[in-house]
Amino acid sequence: MDFAFTKEQLMFKKEIIRFAKKEIVPRVQEHDLHKQFDFESFRKLGEFGILGLHFPEELGGGGADVITTVMAGEALGEAGVDGGLTLAYGAHTFLCSDTIYSHGTPEQRKKYIPKLASGEWIGCMGLTEPNAGSDVASMTTTAEKKGDKYVLNGSKIFITNGPIADVAVVYAKTQPEKKHAGISAFIVEKDTPGYKSGANLIKMGVSTSQTSELFFNNCEIPASHLLGKEGDGFNMSLQTVEWDRSALLAPFVGAATFMLTRCVEYAKTREQFGRTIGQFQAVKRKIANIRIFGEAARNLVYRIAWCKDQKKPLNHLEAAVAKLFVGDWSLGPSNDAVVLHGGYGYCHEYDMERIFRDSRLAPIGGGTSDIQKMIISKLI
Amino acid sequence: MNYDFSEKEFSFFIELHQLLAKYAEGKKLDDCDLAGSENNLRQATAMLAGTPYLKLAIEPVDGFNGLLTLTGAWEVLASISPSLYISVETSARIFGRIISAWGDDVQKKKWLPEILSGKVIGAVGLSEESLNIDNAPLATLGVLNGDKVEISGRKQYVVNGPMADWFAVVGNMGDKPAIFMVEKGNPGLIIGARSATIGYGGAAISPLELKNCVIPAANVLFPADAKSMTATLRLWENQILMGASLGLMKTAFESARTYAKTHKTGGKPIIAFQEIGFKLSEMLTLFQTSQLFAYRTAWTSEKDPKEAESLTLCAKVFCTESAEQVACEAMKILGGAGYLSGNAVEQAFRCAKYGQIAGTSTEIARVKIGDTALGLRN
Ligand SMILES: Cc1cc2nc3c(=O)[nH]c(=O)nc-3n(C[C@H](O)[C@H](O)[C@H](O)COP(=O)(O)OP(=O)(O)OC[C@H]3O[C@@H](n4cnc5c(N)ncnc54)[C@H](O)[C@@H]3O)c2cc1C
Ligand SMILES: Cc1cc2nc3c(=O)[nH]c(=O)nc-3n(C[C@H](O)[C@H](O)[C@H](O)COP(=O)(O)OP(=O)(O)OC[C@H]3O[C@@H](n4cnc5c(N)ncnc54)[C@H](O)[C@@H]3O)c2cc1C
Repeated sequence: MDFAFTKEQLMFKKEIIRFAKKEIVPRVQEHDLHKQFDFESFRKLGEFGILGLHFPEELGGGGADVITTVMAGEALGEAGVDGGLTLAYGAHTFLCSDTIYSHGTPEQRKKYIPKLASGEWIGCMGLTEPNAGSDVASMTTTAEKKGDKYVLNGSKIFITNGPIADVAVVYAKTQPEKKHAGISAFIVEKDTPGYKSGANLIKMGVSTSQTSELFFNNCEIPASHLLGKEGDGFNMSLQTVEWDRSALLAPFVGAATFMLTRCVEYAKTREQFGRTIGQFQAVKRKIANIRIFGEAARNLVYRIAWCKDQKKPLNHLEAAVAKLFVGDWSLGPSNDAVVLHGGYGYCHEYDMERIFRDSRLAPIGGGTSDIQKMIISKLI
Repeated sequence: MNYDFSEKEFSFFIELHQLLAKYAEGKKLDDCDLAGSENNLRQATAMLAGTPYLKLAIEPVDGFNGLLTLTGAWEVLASISPSLYISVETSARIFGRIISAWGDDVQKKKWLPEILSGKVIGAVGLSEESLNIDNAPLATLGVLNGDKVEISGRKQYVVNGPMADWFAVVGNMGDKPAIFMVEKGNPGLIIGARSATIGYGGAAISPLELKNCVIPAANVLFPADAKSMTATLRLWENQILMGASLGLMKTAFESARTYAKTHKTGGKPIIAFQEIGFKLSEMLTLFQTSQLFAYRTAWTSEKDPKEAESLTLCAKVFCTESAEQVACEAMKILGGAGYLSGNAVEQAFRCAKYGQIAGTSTEIARVKIGDTALGLRN
C-alpha cells in the first residue's frame, strides 16, 4: 500500500487552487445568490484544461490519469468553488463527454470531444424521468428506429445543464417491453426539432447549476447518433458510476477542507466572553469533526480513482460505500460549520450555508443513499 | 499510490488467521480466570513468535511494511480474541517499542529478544490518577542512590499487571523523564487485585504501587523529553486501539451478516428486510472507511511522523466510535440472541467502549485535533 501522490500531482493541485481562487471564486457568491450559471467561469475551466483533463491530447484533452482528474475536483472544492459549478462540470465532463468518449465511434469522438473539452459546447446527460428515478429500468422514453433515423418520445427531469446544453446524452428504450436490456443511449443536439428543455428548476442548493426537464416530441435524430449498440445503454450508465463515485464526489471532499480552513480562521478571530471562540472546547470539537470527515472521505474517493487507473473492474460495493459515506456523513460536519459561524453562518456572505445546501445533494444525486444501501446489502 | 496490500502481506494475514483460529478453537479466550488468561497469553505469544507478527513495527521484516502490515495483522488477531490482542500488544508492542526506542544496546539485548520470542510478558504503567491530558506531570519518581534507584508511585489500569514478568513504569528521575524496568517479585512492587471490567474479560488489568521499590540503575531508560515520551506512548496506545476497533468491527459485522442471512422470520431471511440489510450496509461503510483511515494513518506514521500525530487522533476517534456503533447495530440484528451473554457480538459491544476511554480519550483527542487546526499546538 502507498498513499502518496506524485510531486506533479501535488503541484498541479496547488495550481488549480490558485487559478480557481483568482478566476472563479470571486464570482461565486453573486451567481449563487441569483441562481445563475457562470458561463465565464465555465469557459475558464475549459481554458485551464479541466473540462477535458482525462481525454487524449489529440481530442483536445490533457491526457491525465484518473487520480489527477479526481484531484482537480477536490482542488476546486478546496478553493471554494461552489457545488453548482462543480456539478455542472461533473455532468458535462463525466456524464456526457466521457460517455461519448468511452462508447462513441471515432467520428462521434472527433465531432464532440474537442468542443466539449474546450468548453465551447456544454453537455448534459438525461437518464432520470418524472416517474423513473431510482428505478431506472422503468423509464418510458422511447426511441423507435425508422429507416436511418430514431424517433424519440418522452421526457427527462432533474437534468443538470439541461437548459444550457448544446449536446445531450439521452437514454431511451429501443425495446420498451424489456427492462435494463431495452435501454440504449443517444446523442441529441440542441436545435434538433422535437427536442426542448424546460425552465431552470429552483433548488435548495447547487444553485448555479441549471437543472431542467428535457422534452422529446417525435424528435428525429440520425441513426448514427446511437452510442454503441442498441440495448447497451444501461451498462453505459453504470460505467459513469466510476466517475460519479470519484470525480463527482471529490469536490465534496475539497469542500470539507474549505470549511475547515474557514472555520479555523473564524474561530481564531471571533471573540465572545472575552476570548476567541476557538478557545472553547465545543468549537474545537466542531473543527475536529470537519477534519475527521474530510480525511475519512478522501481515502474512499481516491480508492475508486486508483482502481480505475489500474484498469480494475469497478468494485460496486466499494463505490456504493464511498457514495453513501460522503452523502450521509457530510451532514454533521457541514452543519457544524454553519453553527460555528453563529448567525453569520446562516448568512450568504459567509459561504457556510451555501456549502451546507450544496452538500445536501450528495445523498440524492446519482443514486440516493437508500439505493447505495440496496446495492451494498445485495453484494454482501 | 496503491490501495492494495501485497500478495505476501495477504498470504501472511491468511496464515495468521488460520493459525489463530485453530488455536482459539474450543477455548474461552475472552472470559477466563487469571490462571487461564496467563496460560493463554503465554501460549499465544510463543506461537506468534514463530511468525513475523511480534517483530512488526519493532524490527524490519523483509517484504513487509512495518506498521502498515501490522495494522492489517492487528485486525486478524483482534477479531479472533480482543483480550488476547490487547494483552499481546501491550507486551510486544508497547513494552517492546519502549525498549527498542529508548533502551541502550545493553538494555535492548537484555529484554528485546525475550519479548520478541514470547518468553517474557511485559506490562506498562503509565496512567496515574492525575495524568489525563498529557502535559500533567507524572507523580511517579525515582531517586538515584549509588548504583540503585528507589521508586515510589501509583499506576492505574495496567494491562497484564497480574501476570507480567517485567513492568515498564513511566515516571521521572530528577528533572528527567525515565522509565523504570521492574521485575515481578521485586520488593516494593505491589500488584493490586485484578480489576473487573465490562469488556476484555480475558485480559488481566490491575493497579500497581511502587513503595520503596529499589532497582539497579542500569534498569532505567531515559527517553529524550517528557512531553514527547508521553505523546509517543499515547500514540502507540492509540494505534493499538485502532487495530482493536478493526477487529471488533470485523467480528461484529461478519457475525451479524451471517445471522441476517440464516435467521428467518415470516419465511424470509432477515437480510431481505431493509431495516436489517440497510443497517448492515451502514456498518460495512463504517468498517471499510475505518480500515482505509487506519491504513493511511499507519502509512503516514512511517513517511511523515509529524503529520501522523494529528491524523492518528482523527483516525482513532473515527475507528473507535465506529466500532461501538457497528457492534451496537450488530447486536440489534441478532435480536435476543445478541443480548445473551457470551456471544461474539455482545463481547465486541462490551469491548468497544474501551477504545474511546483509553489512550487519548475521544474528548481529549477532539480538543487536540482542534488545537492543531487552530495552530494552538504544533
Ligand atoms: C440537483 C440535481 C441534479 C441532477 N442531475 C441529474 C442529471 O444530470 N441527469 C440525470 O439523469 N439525473 C439527474 N438527477 C436525478 C437524480 O439522479 C435522482 O433525483 C435520483 O436518482 C433519485 O431519483 P428520484 O428523484 O426520482 O427519487 P425516487 O427514486 O422517487 O426516490 C424517492 C425516495 O424514495 C427512496 N427510494 C426509492 N426506491 C427505494 C427502494 N427501493 N428502497 C428504499 N428506498 C427507496 C429514495 O431513496 C428517496 O428517498 C439530478 C437530481 C438533482 C436533485
Ligand atoms: C481496561 C483499561 C486498560 C487500560 N490499560 C492501561 C495500561 O496498560 N497502561 C496504562 O498506563 N493505562 C491504561 N489505561 C488507562 C487509560 O489510558 C485511561 O483510563 C485514560 O487515559 C483515561 O484516563 P481516566 O480514566 O483517568 O479518565 P479522566 O482523564 O479522568 O477522564 C474522565 C472524562 O473526562 C474527560 N476529560 C478529561 N480531561 C479533559 C479535558 N481536558 N478536556 C475535555 N475532556 C476531558 C475524558 O475524556 C473522560 O470523558 C487503561 C484503561 C482501561 C479502562
